[in-house]
Amino acid sequence: MARRSILGRKEFVPPIQAVDDGWRLNLDFEERSLLVRLMDELRALLTSTDDNPLLNRLFPTAYPDDEEKEAEYQRLMREELVASRLASINLVTSLLAPDAPAVFDEERTVAFMQSINAIRLVLGTLLGITDDESADAAQAAADAGTESPEHQLYDFLSWLLEWTVRSLSE
Amino acid sequence: MPTTLEPVEVIEPDIDTVNSLDRPWIVLVWNDPVNLMSYVTYVFQKLFGYSLEKATELMLDVHEKGRAVVASGTREEAEMHVFRLHEHSLWATMEHDGSTS
Repeated sequence: MARRSILGRKEFVPPIQAVDDGWRLNLDFEERSLLVRLMDELRALLTSTDDNPLLNRLFPTAYPDDEEKEAEYQRLMREELVASRLASINLVTSLLAPDAPAVFDEERTVAFMQSINAIRLVLGTLLGITDDESADAAQAAADAGTESPEHQLYDFLSWLLEWTVRSLSE
Repeated sequence: MPTTLEPVEVIEPDIDTVNSLDRPWIVLVWNDPVNLMSYVTYVFQKLFGYSLEKATELMLDVHEKGRAVVASGTREEAEMHVFRLHEHSLWATMEHDGSTS
């Protein structure tokens, strides 16, 4: 897991934390802008009419052993899953807005968690992290400092997700 | 008067009826190296109300064995579980109980 530099900070503040009346994000303007851009990109991918293989992991098969049932399931549920993902993304975009309230509710925090993870899955597909072997190779690159920018982004999102899960588990 | 030795007609249930009514559906979650262990554990607790212990056990099964059965029920129930797991980007599938060892 990538570690964010804490040089210059007096005290480590988690990127997201549970507070008395909800949750708050402790991200700077650059990080918020980055996340907004990522949400926009994911939204564009989800609303595109093209069948993009980058989305494969976001729409898994339900019935791997039954083509007919699978076709029926996707016919009924695919659009609902797209709508659900878009709803989450929109909640996240609104909480990242400069005029958004500093503290937000559990629904938004869960949406944040789901959307960050969805982007990680798209990046994982892009980076070819598909099995234990490729995951190990990716980790080795991270340890050696030879990661691509996309991989660094992936690590940043993993770190953010880890803290989000922690904040929801308290 | 019939004797106990007289043959009695037995009506065998239609195999398809047995398959669809009596055999429950199971929901499996498959390993995906992208998903964080903490995330998977949290999702299992949230969606199924499992204790941290049980959720961790299931997550480790997924991680180490490649997959785990996380729920079972009617076809409708299983589809709902699958959908909610997909909403959380977990690789979930469903099948008749007994199809997989």
